[in-house]
This record gives sequence, structure tokens and C-alpha cells, in this order.
Amino acid sequence: MKITIIVYKGEKVLELSGDIDMYSSPELREQLMAHIIKKIPSLSINFGKVSYIDSSGIATFVESLKCMKLYGGRLRFFSIPEGIMEIFRFSKLDRVFDIYGNIEDVFNS
Amino acid sequence: MKDTIVIAIPSHPKFLAVVRAVTVGAGRLFEFDEAAAEDIKLAVDEACTNIIKHAYKGDTAGRIVIKYTVTRKGFKVVIDDNGVRAKPESIKGRSFDDIRPGGLGIHFIKRVFDIYRFDPKKKKGNRLILIKYSDRDK
Repeated sequence: MKITIIVYKGEKVLELSGDIDMYSSPELREQLMAHIIKKIPSLSINFGKVSYIDSSGIATFVESLKCMKLYGGRLRFFSIPEGIMEIFRFSKLDRVFDIYGNIEDVFNS
Repeated sequence: MKDTIVIAIPSHPKFLAVVRAVTVGAGRLFEFDEAAAEDIKLAVDEACTNIIKHAYKGDTAGRIVIKYTVTRKGFKVVIDDNGVRAKPESIKGRSFDDIRPGGLGIHFIKRVFDIYRFDPKKKKGNRLILIKYSDRDK
């Protein structure tokens, strides 16, 4: 997994690529928590190049979402590939996460 | 000889990528469609993740052996480890409405495989048996 941080319209976007699993999720958690600890008001995640996610990766995002909600922060996902979206739907997490089609949808919301 | 594939990996999470590559390859070889092969890949990955976490408790010096077989009844995956014995009665996923980290892996396994059981005959470690029946046998 590779993590690239960009700034889009003044807000941080994490662009992820590759597999998010038990091996890579600690690095992802570290990156997310580094922002959350500073109470970043909005963090968007680009899933466009994510090829795989397992329960460890999902747990990392659930933890991040819960932490951000505590201070009123927003965690938003976009460009989720259909295979990963199907896992979110199966887990009923499509109702929990804030999901958008693309980056423009995120910033027009 | 039955169509069988066997792989062995150290109990280190970096080898899960190898498990996934072989599992999805086995799924395609055994003629599952792409969606089913992906679901099987996730399920076997989750089973191995559980072994690393719970049976070996993060010790990366253990060994995990995965055997894939096509039988008359369906697709069978047998996963052996030498870690701490699992307590099958305590393995439960979380409710989907209880939003918290963890507790989803077992759901991902059971949504694909019709059989999920530990072999009681294995004396040391665990032998997890997963079977996905052929559609005609359901």
C-alpha cells in the first residue's frame, strides 16, 4: 500500500493505492491518527487505486471515524471500486461512512 | 491424483499477499467466477489473519499451511497451524449494527464458505476446514 497526501481546495486528501490488510493497516492507522490527534476538521480518502481491503483495514477506518466524530470532524471517502463497495455494503458500513462518487462530489457537498 | 495445491508461509502478515495471490489463482483455476474468487481470497486471508493474531498471538516464527482441493462436493480449504488452540464456541462476529473496530473477519469467511469448522482430531494447534459446496449440492 502507498499513501500520498495532497491538498485539494485547502483540505487534506489521502490518496491510497494497493492492498490494505493486516500488514499495511498499521501504517495507515499511523497516518490517519497523526491528523486526527491534531483534530483535523475534514479528511478525505481517495480509494480509486485501492485494490483490496480486509477487516483490519476496515477496523482502522471505523476507529478513525469514531475518533473524528468525538470532536465533530468529517471523514469522507470517494472513488470506491465496486469490489470494495460490495464489502462495505455487506458489512452495512455503506450506511456509516460518508461516501461520494468522486472528489468533486466531496467538495460540492 | 486429486487437484490439490499446498502452500506454507511463516506467520508474518507480510506473507498474506502471497496467500491472496495463490488463493485467487486457485479459485480461477477451479473455475469460480471472478467475484467468487475474490470473495474466497478475502475469506482465506481473514482466516490466516486470525491465526496470526489469535493462534500465534503475533509471533512471526510460526508456520501456516494452506491446502486447496477440489472434491466432488466442492472447493475445500484446510488451514493448519501449531499455535494456541482456538475455542470455536467463542468465535463470534460482531453485530453489523454494533459499529466498532473488529469482529467482521468471521462474517467474511462464513458468507463464502458453507462449512467452517475446526477438526477436533488435530491434537496440537488447529486445523480449520472450509468448504464451499458446488451449487448443485446446495
